[in-house]
Amino acid sequence: MDKKPVLEMKNISKRFDMTQALDNVSLTLYPGEIHALVGENGAGKSTLIKTMTGIYRPDTGNILLDGQPVHIHNSQQAQSHGVAAIYQEPLVFPDLNVAENIFISHRDRGAVVSWKKMYKDAESILEKLDVKLDVKMPARGLTLAAQQAVEIAKAISLDVRVLIMDEPTASLSAHEVAQLFKVANTLREQGVAVLFISHRLEEVFKISDRISVFRDGRHISTNITGDVTHDSLIRDMVGREVGDYFAKSQAEKGEVLVSARGLGKEGVFSDINFDVRRGEVLGFAGLVGSRRTDVGLALFGIEPADAGEIIFEGEPLTMKSPEQALKCGISYLTEDRRQFGLTMPMSITSNISLPTLKRYLSGLGLVKHSREKATAEDYRKRLTIRTPSVNHEVGKLSGGNQQKVMLGKWLNAEPKLFIFDEPTRGIDVGAKAEVHHIINELAEQGLAIILISSDLPEALAMSDRILVMREGKQMGIFNREEATQEIVMTAAMGQSHLTEEISQ
Amino acid sequence: MNALMRRFRPEQIRELVLVVLIIMVIIFFATQIENYLSPRFFNRISTSVAIIAVVAVGQTLVVLTRNIDLSVGSIVGFTAYFVGQQLADNNEIAPLAVVLMAIGVGAAMGAFNGVLVAYGRVPAIIVTLGTLALFRTMLVEYSDAQTVITSSLPAWIIDLPRANIFSIDKLDFRLLVGIMVAVVIIFQLMLSYLPYGRRLYAIGSNPDAAKVAGFPSQRIVFFAFVLCGALSGLAGFMFLARFGNITVVAGLGIELKSVAAAVVGGANINGGAGTIIGTLLGAILIDVIDNSLIRWAEISQFWREALLGLMILLAVAADFVIMNRLRDLWARSELQMTQQDVEETQTQEEPGHVA
Repeated sequence: MDKKPVLEMKNISKRFDMTQALDNVSLTLYPGEIHALVGENGAGKSTLIKTMTGIYRPDTGNILLDGQPVHIHNSQQAQSHGVAAIYQEPLVFPDLNVAENIFISHRDRGAVVSWKKMYKDAESILEKLDVKLDVKMPARGLTLAAQQAVEIAKAISLDVRVLIMDEPTASLSAHEVAQLFKVANTLREQGVAVLFISHRLEEVFKISDRISVFRDGRHISTNITGDVTHDSLIRDMVGREVGDYFAKSQAEKGEVLVSARGLGKEGVFSDINFDVRRGEVLGFAGLVGSRRTDVGLALFGIEPADAGEIIFEGEPLTMKSPEQALKCGISYLTEDRRQFGLTMPMSITSNISLPTLKRYLSGLGLVKHSREKATAEDYRKRLTIRTPSVNHEVGKLSGGNQQKVMLGKWLNAEPKLFIFDEPTRGIDVGAKAEVHHIINELAEQGLAIILISSDLPEALAMSDRILVMREGKQMGIFNREEATQEIVMTAAMGQSHLTEEISQ
Repeated sequence: MNALMRRFRPEQIRELVLVVLIIMVIIFFATQIENYLSPRFFNRISTSVAIIAVVAVGQTLVVLTRNIDLSVGSIVGFTAYFVGQQLADNNEIAPLAVVLMAIGVGAAMGAFNGVLVAYGRVPAIIVTLGTLALFRTMLVEYSDAQTVITSSLPAWIIDLPRANIFSIDKLDFRLLVGIMVAVVIIFQLMLSYLPYGRRLYAIGSNPDAAKVAGFPSQRIVFFAFVLCGALSGLAGFMFLARFGNITVVAGLGIELKSVAAAVVGGANINGGAGTIIGTLLGAILIDVIDNSLIRWAEISQFWREALLGLMILLAVAADFVIMNRLRDLWARSELQMTQQDVEETQTQEEPGHVA
């Protein structure tokens, strides 16, 4: 490599209380190169990014820009050095329009805002990125992908030299990912150093020139992408050989527990039909925008359906509220931990007992903390939640452990039907395998399970049957034996209609 | 519908509704109260609105950043008394110096709020609830429960409320109203065209994003409170000019009216949305109703406060129900347009595409 590095992180260490988040880590970024950074959750990726963007200051170590040591103490300084980051959940200003979002941080656009010029400049930047957006539209209504495009446009407008993409594809559909990659490649051609962070190894292989692996706050390896394999990367990430972590056990299938007949919701989804038996895992596959989650929300009564019926244990019923669903014996593990899943400032114990608080009341109607705590301890052991204590604040746990707390919370409701919505999104390989194991176990215990997953290999491996949706329509239900990635993807993309011959 | 949506932004529709409401309220009271549509009543209401509107403009700046300033009433009262006392002691102080003194004292009080909120990270509702009481107590202590009386003030300030810029027939356009108009124009322009103004929206719209956006959001919030204090100080001066007699209860309740004006005028209490024009309309609506109720024999005076509270609640409810729907509709129609654009270009690009 004859290019001079643009940004070097040298021997960076950072410690938070008990945790050594970064331990003598070095990373070098070259212009015109896409550098992928992979590692389990808690490997130190986020901490590294935050030291690069000035949110954290490293305890020891140097950051060199063009070979010169620099201090980055806040996001303004990062910006002036040409370091910018975009995140899985874009940080746009919903009330401002697209053009304003792009230029809000600029300090060199004169004392008075010239709206005309701003719209024109915004359009020309978006054009460079080959993104079609109305620059006068408020960011509120934009899709996640469009919001990311706005953030990338903003970075470019600030003459970005190092662009960090922190799990940018986690919430995007395949088509949107392709678009994002096109943009990333454009940036590479323009000489920007891109740091690409993702849990999806296929993407990493597809886009990157170089791959670094972090584990437990340490730098494990950096290699040219062509020199590593899928397996060797995973070995580096987990430090051990990973066997078949998609092991599917065959649980005994019982009678039909829940059925949907012509289930629909105006303008959202329509004519959804399926049965789930006890001990069976029904996968829901589809691209983003296929409205799988909305079906889950309807079953759990959060966003009730307005057409068709749900038959639960042979009884037709209208599911009107989560309370009702809970009483029937339905649990729903949300895909959005932060917003709907957990009360971040509360303890593990309080989170787990929240939906079932009635069980923990003493004769006087007061919460009995000792019993609550015993339950939490129980789930900590059963689900191996890694935490100093069950009194620990949930917000301070890693993503995988938060997911397990959420699982414990809903398992404690003793459901008959468990709806998992993206149960392994954004959690590390180890925690993922544990979640898969738990799902298998629950099926063996005779629970009916609906698994909504964007991770196709996961959905295929875990499910007995797969229901594929596209834009609110049911494209078909495929048996485990016949479902391949190609068949499911074809249905999800709406390329063929195999629906009638296969369903039920 | 789509064409309409694209012509007007939701904010503009709301402002239009407010204008209609104001006209309806005036027509209603005209049928209820004798001599309602008289020049005298117009002059009285316009002066009253002027004070509320100036404070409400400051309140709007703060509300835009997802904060609130509950101390404005105490700032108005304190500056009115303080400046009045100085003038009573020394009748020779130049008028401009008096105005600047009022603005300065208000700004200093606002700065106190701003430091605690922006840099001390104490929630604004706590800080300003505290200073609401603190500034009022300062006034009580400073005044020693004495009153500034009209006769001790120089003639120019007593004549000020009746000073006209121009008159149409018997409708007077008074200097105090002129100050309000100037404030409204200056701050509306600031919000629309200065980077500082746009960043106020940005901060309220998404405080987390503002932290990493690379602009000094703490300083911006701090100055929002300073400006709010300064405008309250200016309003304190106007208050002194209007009433002459200043007691320890001066400006009591203005915080409620200013928040009401901002919210009724379309400022989102969660920040990020609102206009100065809207706030002006909100102030007019609230004050017209308030002043009309005083003269309406049908209803007890005690209901005025209640009605004010009810209007805040209605405005917030309307915000949730109507504005969100409008914004969604607007966003959706935009989205459709963009998608149509995309599809059109796609079909143009791939004329021979085989599906």
